[in-house]
Amino acid sequence: MSPISSRRSDQIIVATTRVRALVRTLVAATAQATALATLLAGCGTLGPGIPEDPRHELTAVPFFPQTIHQCGPAALATVLGASGVATTPEQLAPLVYIPGRRGSLQVEMLAAARSHGRLAYVLEPRFADLQLELTAGKPVLVLQDLGALGIRRWHFAVVVGYDPGRDLVILRSGTERRQVEARDWFLRSWQAGGNWAAVITPPDDPPATATGDGFIRALSAAERYLSPPVIDAAHAAALDRWPGVPLVLLANGNRAYAQGNIAGAIARYRELLVAEPGNVAGRNNLASALLDAGCPQSALVEARQAAALVQDGSPLATAVQDTLAKATAAGGSDASTCRAE
Amino acid sequence: MSFRQTTVAITAACFLALGLQSTASAGVIGTQAYLAAEARAGQLADISAALSRADVQAQLVSLGVSPADALTRAAALSDAELAQVAHEIQTLPAGGDGLLAVIGIVFVVLLILELTGVTDIFKKV
Repeated sequence: MSPISSRRSDQIIVATTRVRALVRTLVAATAQATALATLLAGCGTLGPGIPEDPRHELTAVPFFPQTIHQCGPAALATVLGASGVATTPEQLAPLVYIPGRRGSLQVEMLAAARSHGRLAYVLEPRFADLQLELTAGKPVLVLQDLGALGIRRWHFAVVVGYDPGRDLVILRSGTERRQVEARDWFLRSWQAGGNWAAVITPPDDPPATATGDGFIRALSAAERYLSPPVIDAAHAAALDRWPGVPLVLLANGNRAYAQGNIAGAIARYRELLVAEPGNVAGRNNLASALLDAGCPQSALVEARQAAALVQDGSPLATAVQDTLAKATAAGGSDASTCRAE
Repeated sequence: MSFRQTTVAITAACFLALGLQSTASAGVIGTQAYLAAEARAGQLADISAALSRADVQAQLVSLGVSPADALTRAAALSDAELAQVAHEIQTLPAGGDGLLAVIGIVFVVLLILELTGVTDIFKKV
């Protein structure tokens, strides 16, 4: 064998060896990766050994096993179903799934809940608040990071229970109807997304941990999808729960005004101004309602105060100037009914 | 002007027309106008919201959402949500259970390490 052909045959052997190594690498790496992925998927979960316990979990919450990348639609169908909206992940996917991101965004989950006539309320990022919602009977939508080694793997799931004795969190998650996770593990996976959690609720049923301001914001964002009786019921529920909160009173006054209930609107605005005398919008709307009620004198007093309160360049300034101009133009004295309020 | 810019401009004009109609009632300050005023300022904000709504719609389409669905979805977002999505649609957490992505990344890393000779897991061939 000449030196050249010998070198060539060496090269062939080296090449063959390299190809064989490559093939084995491919096979082995795939096997390892699959094992690792399975491990990750099962990490921290305790399997089906813990029996379902109605004292600690909401057993009636529906379950929709997810297909690949579709945990968003599945989790959303779960919380919507629990709030009384019958729908399926397939129906929701066109509203929340983004093919190019192979997933769903939090804000679109909330928006899709609103477009189904529900309020979406983002909780304070505390496990205690999550627990309070569970106790009040509401399953909680959460964002978890199930990744490892610095690789993010965002996942939506629905917490349906917490067992304080065993310190276990129970979720509808992925393809598991009852995924049981140690609380510490759950908290770690929850922390990466900023402890994001939300409840989906019928508009007249404020969440247990909601604030008056937060509830009015959630209601306001959903209002265009709601029928007038439902909006009325929601405002009534808010007033019932937070009778002294300025924003709740303003919203209730505005609702009454929009429905033509001038006396009701005036009463709410006056309550608001007792709680917060410097509220420009309340002062301005009271002036406007007083004008409509045939009380131009009182209206002018309120309109002048509103104009004195409003800051230059405020988006509210136009409305305030408009009301002042109307009250000034109206002139005259109050009708006899105005004193009675 | 590119096709996308034109589309964004036209859609923005439509959203703006819709938006201004709803906030045009002068005199009484509605709850939504009040909340918006707390957060931002005036008509400039309306215009920027309309622009980002159209932009979000275009971005959703480029990520594989059908144009009709993208229109509905962009319209369903609040102003604050829009601003967030418009700037971060590529980086916001997208819950989807990226199982395949994990397998893929681990695989590629192992492959690169093996081929570059950093690791030599399979030397006994």
